[in-house]
Amino acid sequence: MGKKYGPIKSGVKWFKILVAKIVFFVLGRAFQSATKHDPDIKKEISVWREGFVLIMRVLPNGPRMVLEKLNGRLKYRGAKYDDGDLVISFKNIECAFLVLTPQVGAAQAFAERRMTVKGDLGNAMIFTRCLTILLGHLYPQFICRRLVKRVAPMPLKKQMIKLVINVVGIPFGL
Amino acid sequence: MLPSYYEFFNPVKILSGKNALDNLPYELEQLGAKRPIIVTDKGVIKAGLIQVVKSAFDSSGMVIGAIYDDVPPDSSSDVVNQIVAVYRENGCDAIVAVGGGSPIDTAKGVNIVLSENSDDLMKFEGADRLKAPMKPFIVIPTTAGTGSEVTLAAVIKNTAKNVKMAFASHLLFPKIAILDPRMTTTMPPHITAMTGMDALAHSMEAYTCLQKNPLSDAYATAAIKLIAQYLPKAVENGKDMEARMAMANAATMAGAAFSNSMVGMVHSLGHATGAICHIPHGLAMSIFLPFGLEYNLPKTEAMVAELLLPLGGEAEYVKVAAGQRAARTIVLVRKFQQTLFDLCGLPRTLKEAGVPKNKLEEIAKTAINDGTLSFNPEELDLNDALNVLNEAYS
Repeated sequence: MGKKYGPIKSGVKWFKILVAKIVFFVLGRAFQSATKHDPDIKKEISVWREGFVLIMRVLPNGPRMVLEKLNGRLKYRGAKYDDGDLVISFKNIECAFLVLTPQVGAAQAFAERRMTVKGDLGNAMIFTRCLTILLGHLYPQFICRRLVKRVAPMPLKKQMIKLVINVVGIPFGL
Repeated sequence: MLPSYYEFFNPVKILSGKNALDNLPYELEQLGAKRPIIVTDKGVIKAGLIQVVKSAFDSSGMVIGAIYDDVPPDSSSDVVNQIVAVYRENGCDAIVAVGGGSPIDTAKGVNIVLSENSDDLMKFEGADRLKAPMKPFIVIPTTAGTGSEVTLAAVIKNTAKNVKMAFASHLLFPKIAILDPRMTTTMPPHITAMTGMDALAHSMEAYTCLQKNPLSDAYATAAIKLIAQYLPKAVENGKDMEARMAMANAATMAGAAFSNSMVGMVHSLGHATGAICHIPHGLAMSIFLPFGLEYNLPKTEAMVAELLLPLGGEAEYVKVAAGQRAARTIVLVRKFQQTLFDLCGLPRTLKEAGVPKNKLEEIAKTAINDGTLSFNPEELDLNDALNVLNEAYS
């Protein structure tokens, strides 16, 4: 009898999926807190309508982070919605892992077509600026330099916001 | 240096040269089409160019299903819907766009609605939203600048919301682009100049923006070399077939380059200025190009220095010391602007272009939300944009 041929089921990259889920949670909580405490981020998202839904997800059915604008700030909503006003999709879990770990910046990943955007590009630009500010709150400057085009200065006021986001924002969503 | 990762895609068959248009019926037939609709504008009709296209069909046995010649300079979803209706009424089976950016982008919108069998173009706004195979689509450019004949994008106004919507998908590429010098000889000098500068901006930004890659670099530098040599000639003498052919090729190569490596702040500022002050896109590109190159210099000096070779030629490149080449490239771009000003009065500043100074802040605010800014190598915030605009003003 000859060799048998048949379908091969794809595997699952559990570790990278888990990392993406954790980073999405941290990022979601950080955004929630930053839209309360950081005036620059608050100002950026002020143009979004109430109920605006932003989703960052991994294609085809990977983890996702849903943010919804409620009472003037972004609220982390876990994986509540499938679709939104602005949907940023990583083409695969490897692309997401590179950006979320963080080895590659969002602008570079977008330029390399590792991500796609559905929705108004103007809103995507607003989100990119918010993300740049937020990364400054999450990572030390030497990492930020790799992720963003220009690292913003961190005056004392910003240092305090960074402290609040990291100490109470991410753990407690405040 | 090679990028860690890049993508490059350009599936458009190019027919380039004297009387290239005569192959149009053959190519349509190869695509399985028998009854194309021609999408064009009044400028093309007025210049008599549609006769050249119609005569290409003589003795081919093929029927032109309809000629839609009412595409406005600023096309919209309403126009797309009208053309879809004409296409369906006349049993057409292919689309031939004849014109500059507006008829080409409109035809792309028509192809989306027809191929997706939809009645709402706006459902497909954004990137990679198309799934259905497209109708046979051929482009015959009548300007040499936009590069739309080899790009995957279209910009069409949403009439209801009065905003411009962008569509991008690899399915939007035309199947064929026909570059026939007869189709650009009627372009007046100032249009030739500004569309040529659009192509120069495409190639220079493609060479310096975030997704530059070896393939887009090859297209970009080849385009710059042709533009440097032939654009003044085409402006000076519109009937110079060699110059027209060279510029048509340059624009197509620049289009292939930027469609893959994307463009940056020169386009962000240009789109915003065009939207608010209604100055032609090519003119805005011409004005902002040296400022964009200058602003990005801290990140792109080595790349801009390399551009001296295609722009200035070998003798110039060798003459200038390595550390001075980037600055010299920018000087040559400004000299190029001056040459075009001397030849046809192409404005060099926003003031000369009639942009009111009190609009600069609004332009800056719009520019920083333009998607092309993502691909700019340097960060550009509101204050930076305003500073560049003030410099470009006078």
